[in-house]
Amino acid sequence: MKRLLGVALGILTAIGGFVDIGDLVTNAVVGSRFGMSLAWVVLVGVVGICLFANMSGRVAAVSGRATFEVIRERLGPRAGLANLGASFLINVMTVTAEIGGIALALQLASGVAYILWVPFALLAVWLVVWRVKFSIMENVTGLVGLSLVVFAVALFLLKPDWGALAGQAFSPSVPAQEGAGVYWYYAIALFGAAMTPYEVFFFSSGAVEERWKIKDLAQSRLNVLLGFPLGGLLSIAIAGCAAVVLLPAGISVTSLSQVALPVAQAGGQLALAVLILGVVAATFGAALETTLSSGYTLAQFFGWSWGKFRRPAQAARFHVSMIVVLLAGVAVLATGVDPILVTEYSVVFSAIALPLTYLPILIVANDPQYMGKHVNNRAVNIAGVIYLFVILVASLAAIPLMIATGAGA
Amino acid sequence: MSERKRVQPRQLHAAPSPAGLVLDAQLHLLDRQMLDVDGVPVTTVDDIELSGPEPNEEIPEGTAPPQITALLTGPVLGTRIFGGRPPSSRLIRIPWKVVAGVDTVVTLGVRADSMDASWVERWLRNHVIARIPGGSHEP
Repeated sequence: MKRLLGVALGILTAIGGFVDIGDLVTNAVVGSRFGMSLAWVVLVGVVGICLFANMSGRVAAVSGRATFEVIRERLGPRAGLANLGASFLINVMTVTAEIGGIALALQLASGVAYILWVPFALLAVWLVVWRVKFSIMENVTGLVGLSLVVFAVALFLLKPDWGALAGQAFSPSVPAQEGAGVYWYYAIALFGAAMTPYEVFFFSSGAVEERWKIKDLAQSRLNVLLGFPLGGLLSIAIAGCAAVVLLPAGISVTSLSQVALPVAQAGGQLALAVLILGVVAATFGAALETTLSSGYTLAQFFGWSWGKFRRPAQAARFHVSMIVVLLAGVAVLATGVDPILVTEYSVVFSAIALPLTYLPILIVANDPQYMGKHVNNRAVNIAGVIYLFVILVASLAAIPLMIATGAGA
Repeated sequence: MSERKRVQPRQLHAAPSPAGLVLDAQLHLLDRQMLDVDGVPVTTVDDIELSGPEPNEEIPEGTAPPQITALLTGPVLGTRIFGGRPPSSRLIRIPWKVVAGVDTVVTLGVRADSMDASWVERWLRNHVIARIPGGSHEP
């Protein structure tokens, strides 16, 4: 019974933890402009994140080494440092976007300008990073984040023409009013949002934090293989709500209130309240994950002691670097830059940096010195190589498309 | 094509067999994580210091082969990436004699806090982290 509860908890937190500000904004933007015609990208992204999250979790459980230690060891200091630079920059960008997301959600709830909520969001995130146990942090934000299921409920309440939605999803085509370049630009953004690299750093370091052993792998695989696809379904529901309400009305998403509009229209104030709770939890959880991820990557590259299982005094450089990252994120927000804009750029830059993260994991998951008999089997390797090719194409196409389309304008 | 006859030498000397584990410095030492005697991460192996002749120096007959004298860490990493060579006085050394084992990590037989290599960690702990309330509480 206890074991069953553990499995259920793991799956639920994986669903709640899947969606972050990047998924919220990108899916709503895509839904409001392209309907369901990009739903396939979420599917491709979810399969990819399942594949590589599983792989990095297995590496961490078998060898006790988290992803970034492995990256430096395999790529050497030079390529490793370039990788660290790119990953760290994207992490800081994502931290900024998530803290902005918390503040925007609180603005939606209170009417007080989001910029005034930023210092509170910073303090709350730091306090949790500083004091709260890893497992409690994961479970609470994941479970509360589950209230984003309200998007799926709202989609049903809106009584859409299911046939038309499914038609858009299963025979995707570029809508008449949009160009092909813009379509593919948003495909890459959506892919980046679903496969965010911080997820992998966090997942593998979390496996070390929670001292996974080989026998825990079955449960973690179940969490990933059920939780992430259901989280992906939630992402598609966000796009669906936007496609049903915003697309016909010609509303383009430039703020969080527009993301929430379909839910408010379908379920009224109660649904809106649940939505805000969910957004706060999801962005708060993601802010924690990205803050920790930036600490993890730095500490693992330089060999510092790290982890929330240690007292902060036993991991001083790790904690100092996270404080600096949080302050940097808040400094960016203090310039008055639109958090939604930061989010839109952060998912595209994530897509650009994806090969840097995923190639070393694939290499090490095949190294018998680390993995013993738990090296990748052939099917996983074939899938891994195919995905690496897709990731590479998306990464190379991202910047030219960004320039050609004026960042999707 | 001229056919060359292979001349077999009378007696082949086998290479001296190394005692114990054979390590490839590049593959098994460089960029590995170092853990102290309690399993606490200390730093990574940023470079290796060898004893023996300097580069471009003539090697007299019968010179003892070079040995690893220390694992290096700290700013030396920058010179490995960008080139150059730090003065010997600036190197942070972890003497090879404190190394207890080499596996996917390098384990040391001493405590991290007793080493020069962890001075930044200690400085930040004493001056920043320990001064914030809750800094030394169990999580």
